[in-house]
Amino acid sequence: MWPVFAVHMTSAKTYPERRNLLTGLAVAAILLGIAYLSSFMLEDRSLTLSLGLGLVTGFVFQRGRFCFYCNLADYLDKRETAGLLSIIIALASGAVLYVLIFSAWLPNPAWPNLPPTAHIGPVGPTLFLAAVVFGAGMALSRSCLSAHFYRLGEGAFSSLFAITGAGLGFIAGFRTWNGLYTWSVFDDPPLWLPHLAGYVPALALTGAALLALAFFIQRNARKTEASTRPAPSGLAALFTGRWPAAVTGILVGVISAASYLRIAPLGVTAEVGSLARMTGQSLGIVTDTLQGLDTLRGCISALRDTVFSRNGLFVLGLIGGSFSAALASGQFQPQRPTLRKALLNLSGGILLGWGAMTALGCTIGVLLSGIQAGAVSGWIFLAGSIAGVLILRRVQALFTILRP
Amino acid sequence: MAISRIIRASVAALALVASTVTAFASDFLVSAEWAQKNLADPKVRFFEVSVDNGAYERGHIPGAVKLSWHTDLVDTQSRDIISREAFEKKLREAGVGDDTTIILYGDNNNWFAAWGAWVFETYGLGQRVKLLDGGRKLWETQGLPLDTNAADYADTVIKLPERDASVRARLIDVLSVVEGKNQAKLIDIRSPDEYEGKIFAPEGVKELSVRAGHIPGAINVPWGKIVREDGTFKPVDEIKALYAEKGIDGSLPIITYCRIGERSSHSWFALKKLLNYDVRNYDGSWTEYGNAVGVPVVNVAGTVWTGK
Repeated sequence: MWPVFAVHMTSAKTYPERRNLLTGLAVAAILLGIAYLSSFMLEDRSLTLSLGLGLVTGFVFQRGRFCFYCNLADYLDKRETAGLLSIIIALASGAVLYVLIFSAWLPNPAWPNLPPTAHIGPVGPTLFLAAVVFGAGMALSRSCLSAHFYRLGEGAFSSLFAITGAGLGFIAGFRTWNGLYTWSVFDDPPLWLPHLAGYVPALALTGAALLALAFFIQRNARKTEASTRPAPSGLAALFTGRWPAAVTGILVGVISAASYLRIAPLGVTAEVGSLARMTGQSLGIVTDTLQGLDTLRGCISALRDTVFSRNGLFVLGLIGGSFSAALASGQFQPQRPTLRKALLNLSGGILLGWGAMTALGCTIGVLLSGIQAGAVSGWIFLAGSIAGVLILRRVQALFTILRP
Repeated sequence: MAISRIIRASVAALALVASTVTAFASDFLVSAEWAQKNLADPKVRFFEVSVDNGAYERGHIPGAVKLSWHTDLVDTQSRDIISREAFEKKLREAGVGDDTTIILYGDNNNWFAAWGAWVFETYGLGQRVKLLDGGRKLWETQGLPLDTNAADYADTVIKLPERDASVRARLIDVLSVVEGKNQAKLIDIRSPDEYEGKIFAPEGVKELSVRAGHIPGAINVPWGKIVREDGTFKPVDEIKALYAEKGIDGSLPIITYCRIGERSSHSWFALKKLLNYDVRNYDGSWTEYGNAVGVPVVNVAGTVWTGK
């Protein structure tokens, strides 16, 4: 049987203690209360919704360990497939829900019509290069950007170095953007599968590709033995081990579609990019004019003059949601980063930042939101980032200093 | 059963009559209440003209059709109003017939909806076009229903006349006023800082001119003076008095302008449709005039363009 419904006990050392469970649930209740109260203070109701969605996303990411790199590494190192299956299920369920939304908003998907704000990015050499660099950054810092955020909620303070590095990488990305834009991005078409023959064939194509991917990884899977320990019951079951791949995957698909329906496609880099752009401009190292950037589809780093942005609140919520889930499941383990880990994360973060800026998003914004939307750019990012991971792991095999 | 249905229908009909009679002093504004009652009327077509991409799709007034400001109302090659053929096609697809009442609304204080009303006016549809007072913001504040399905209507065969130039001012018309060859009142509806030349344009906008200040003789009446806090227009008498205070009483033709011509459509709408004055909108506005070579400019602040 495919491990899509299995609860994984391997990562949990113990069942959650009652005390942990209660603390975590209390924190979750407080955070939800703050989100509710914010609706009375924030004029724009989408801000409250962003915060709420962030909380739910962080909670689900933590409980399902929805981390692109960790799941890929589990497969490469141990031939464990549950994590990758949860990603594939998230892509598939989100793709179905996206089509439901698209067909209401844009009944005729003929070229050149495109659904509003969906992450259908320009496809070309720049995107692939950016994805490879992003993949290398994942392997070096051992997480993608969204996972660095949710791991922060688990007490992995070394992720702060990766996020800082990403900010620097963004600034580097802004500096190289204008050259790349005129060299390639301007001519790169936003390829969208429904342009071929409509929504249903596009969905069938996406489904077939995902199924093929699932078969491929499952063929190489290590046979897992069923856990001999008795499964916990009641509330504790939600906070023991990690959620089954099917549960996590479907929830992520629903969250992603809900976010697109009400606010914008899911993404975690817009706020980091926006802060980096403002900092860079005030230091005079980022030019005021970034050609064409604000007209493209993706996690665009728009300048803003408000304290709270939708994406900023979403990311804060994500960290908070993960924190409460980690507390409840006894997985909140504050760690003091070693110098080596800090440096690896900082340099990996720079690669993540450059890649995410240049690709107009990361594993969430381009890969997840893109593939779900039927965008070819999502698939290119998937291929490029896996290539980047494999390349850097080869390099790590040669130079021990780069190993974690 | 049948009786209760008759009673309900007659109550609804009475309410409708009452609301149309008492609703508004102007024939060219409708309230959210009126809009709600006329959502299902096939002779009424709502159009949303919003700037925020995705606003329409994530929820619009049920049955409303989207008009994209950057592609459906302008020519995308030359800087001009959309061509008659293209606009005709758009209206046919939206099911606008010869007796359809057109209601426009949008985000950003109805600026772009008012711009839309001006475009409809140039194609001779002015008498059938009304603005939803307060626009999208008021509709949302009141928590009224929104729909996410794209509306689809049977095509019509409406024919549009050639464009009517009488509500549009061109650079040459403005210059003839500046040079005293023609008499008209110029109204600059931008902020006082832009008018005085302290700044070239509001922060963050892309369309600029390389000179600061205003057109000689123009009177500064910022657009926001004629609306209430909630975005609805002030009563007609108040608007009339406010302009009269500035010496604008309709005795002379009026030309409104702003930076790119869309905010000034909002003031154009008030002056033309609510006060019934002779008004033209100068859609070239400051981005054309302030970039034109050799034209007189008043720059009170004396700000010099340095390319930065």
